[in-house]
Amino acid sequence: MNLLNYVPGDSFLHRLNPVTKLLAAFLYGIAAIICNNVFAEIGFIVLMILISATAGIAKRALFLTRNLMLLGLIMFVIQLFFVRTGDPLCVIGGFVLFTTGGLKSALLLSLRVIAAMLPLMLLFAITQMNDLCNALVKRVHLPYRYAFIVTTAFRFVPIFATEFHDIQDAQKARGVDFDTKNIFRKLQLIAPLCVPLLVSSLKKVDVSAMSAEMRGFELRGYKSGYKEYPFGARDLITVLVLIGLIVVTALFLK
Amino acid sequence: MISVKDLGFVYQNSKTAALDGINIEIEDGDFVGITGTSGAGKTTFTFALNGIIPQKIKGDFYGAVTINGKDTAEHHAEEFARTVGEVFQDIDSQMVASVVEDEILFGLENFGVPHEEIEERVDRVLKELGIEDLRDREISSLSGGQKQKVAIASMLALEPEVIVLDEPTGELDPESSREIFRILTRLNREKGITVVIVEQKIMLLCEYVKHMMVLDKGHIAFYGTPRDMVSSIETFKELGINVPRVTELSAGLIREKIYDGEVTLTVDDAEKMVRRILG
Amino acid sequence: MIRFENVTFGYSEKRPILDDLTFHIEKGDFVALIGANGAGKSTISRLTNGLLHPTRGHVYLNGKDTLKTPSSALARDCGFLFQNPDRQICENTVKDEIAFSMKAQGWPTDEIEGRVDRIIKTFDLDPEWFPFSRSRGERQRIALASVLVCEPGLLILDEPTTGLDYLECIRIMDYVTRLNKEKGTTILMVSHDMELVQSYARNVLVLNHGKILGQGPTNEIMKNMDVLKKARVLPAQIPELALRFGDEFKDVFTVEEMLDALRAKAGKGGAL
Repeated sequence: MNLLNYVPGDSFLHRLNPVTKLLAAFLYGIAAIICNNVFAEIGFIVLMILISATAGIAKRALFLTRNLMLLGLIMFVIQLFFVRTGDPLCVIGGFVLFTTGGLKSALLLSLRVIAAMLPLMLLFAITQMNDLCNALVKRVHLPYRYAFIVTTAFRFVPIFATEFHDIQDAQKARGVDFDTKNIFRKLQLIAPLCVPLLVSSLKKVDVSAMSAEMRGFELRGYKSGYKEYPFGARDLITVLVLIGLIVVTALFLK
Repeated sequence: MISVKDLGFVYQNSKTAALDGINIEIEDGDFVGITGTSGAGKTTFTFALNGIIPQKIKGDFYGAVTINGKDTAEHHAEEFARTVGEVFQDIDSQMVASVVEDEILFGLENFGVPHEEIEERVDRVLKELGIEDLRDREISSLSGGQKQKVAIASMLALEPEVIVLDEPTGELDPESSREIFRILTRLNREKGITVVIVEQKIMLLCEYVKHMMVLDKGHIAFYGTPRDMVSSIETFKELGINVPRVTELSAGLIREKIYDGEVTLTVDDAEKMVRRILG
Repeated sequence: MIRFENVTFGYSEKRPILDDLTFHIEKGDFVALIGANGAGKSTISRLTNGLLHPTRGHVYLNGKDTLKTPSSALARDCGFLFQNPDRQICENTVKDEIAFSMKAQGWPTDEIEGRVDRIIKTFDLDPEWFPFSRSRGERQRIALASVLVCEPGLLILDEPTTGLDYLECIRIMDYVTRLNKEKGTTILMVSHDMELVQSYARNVLVLNHGKILGQGPTNEIMKNMDVLKKARVLPAQIPELALRFGDEFKDVFTVEEMLDALRAKAGKGGAL
């Protein structure tokens, strides 16, 4: 499953203005970061998965949550041993391994990371990258150059992935053993993979730039975009609800 | 009309000339096929037809190329981009969008085509290439032939006078290659669009183009109609250019005076020829 | 040499790319694998050298089950020339590039030197060239040299002439033919250029939608328009032409043969 692929749909979320979607994802993240209650944090995650379900991307949300848990786990471990407030909780041979404060703050931080990242990652499931950039150029007047760099980078990800896979196949067919356990041999494998990839990416980027220039890239202004991205009532409602969420969180869950 | 006079080009950091002493006039409505061995200067020549050379690629430029009387060295390449559209060899890298519709919109938006006109143009080019059903598809999910059609459509939307294509059928199977040529022939006949195409599949060139140009080490080694090839078949072989088997056959028969008609370019032509010989 | 036993391959159960294929290729044969894009040609070549593994069934290369042998070990028996040489070129000189495969396969150093020097001469290359700035044809030749320097018993060519001009194409194909005749190297060539197939292959395997549509000597397949049409490949011109005259040109496959036949007929019939 590709983590960032667009999932077509016609739900309330899909029909929001791309700028609203981005803003909403950020606002939800802010609320999750302000929140200081372990149970509410779990609530944020569950709520996000439920919201995803309305756009038909619950499966993606669950998948992402599982992957983010890995990141959460790392944060948890670090936090657990570094925060030394509260009462000792686990003592081995007179040495305090971690404390109640450590456990609480570790739990909170890792859940917070998941709750804040989840909406941003889900954004890509309901927004075409092109739409997001075009809307940012049109509505927020982001310079097109930056928008183009971002969309191009995203577009090249699958192209380079295929290229990398093919290069790996080509080297395997010549007898290169990629399964070796020997660390020195592994280091020697970097060049046969990276050199062809680098050479081909340089060529590709060149063609890409030339093609864009020949099709009037430099003439483009923020008014050029054909598609309009109007804000509607649903955008206003969404933003208001999220601001409400932040206020409630700030008042009761801090 | 594109007029090329004494064109020469040496890439920066290169000692040998990629093009040297090229003289040619491409008339409106022509269909020119360019072939030649690798490194003969085919791609460089296509770059010279729309100002990419000398505007965007560094090197020493000699001679002059004019498009409708305008010198490519004296105007920005963008000014020619709408007149001469080019489909590059690397089809994946030249795409600028991830969805077909956005790919076609890109040029239209940039060149400031009035928004009320855009919808109609997009509809029209999609229809002309028979890819209406691909409008909302992700480009990365398309086949090679479909990608070529999208690239041609996005050029066509800008209503160019000339379309230049650099080995568009390189990675296509025979069926899809032929389809590309059929589409180009239709655009050439019905809309009067001039087509310049670099191609290795000589059989397709013989069947579809009006003029053929063979480049060798930066020079024009042959220029003429496909039927003119008959007198140059030996030259072609020396240059490493394949000729269709039926053309080779008819040239042999003509040489041995077994047949006195024209050189044959397709199997259908050859069938008629053999029937005549058999009486 | 190659044995496919009830091989099915696919990413989804409903639409397999290869569907229950069984065939074998003898040692020393020169086989062309033909069919339209998406028929499963490249999949077969990648199953043969273990880059892919069958979903069901077994592939044997020299009696070794590809499922049980790592692809790096299979590479010793099976050289593979890809369409695009740029995917493999990774060294700064032609010499190092060609030596790379031998080093990867763990050949003794003294043997590497001698073999690399010899193949560079046969392929008309310069050991000190910077491979990345050579022409496409030269890069393809460098790639082929680096595959053949190991003298594999089987050589797989995946659309070897894509992007090559006719001269380079003949050069590579003539070398491969010599290898087949003199050293008995088995050749499996994936191609949709029927003129190329007709000129070089001894036997042909026709694929369509993951199934074998026809199999047999090249000349037989070249005149089987039904099979070629179903497989969506463009027939070679002279056999197609000959076929339009029924039995009149039964044994005609090449330009020379056609010329001879017409010369004889014109002489007898006296058309001119």
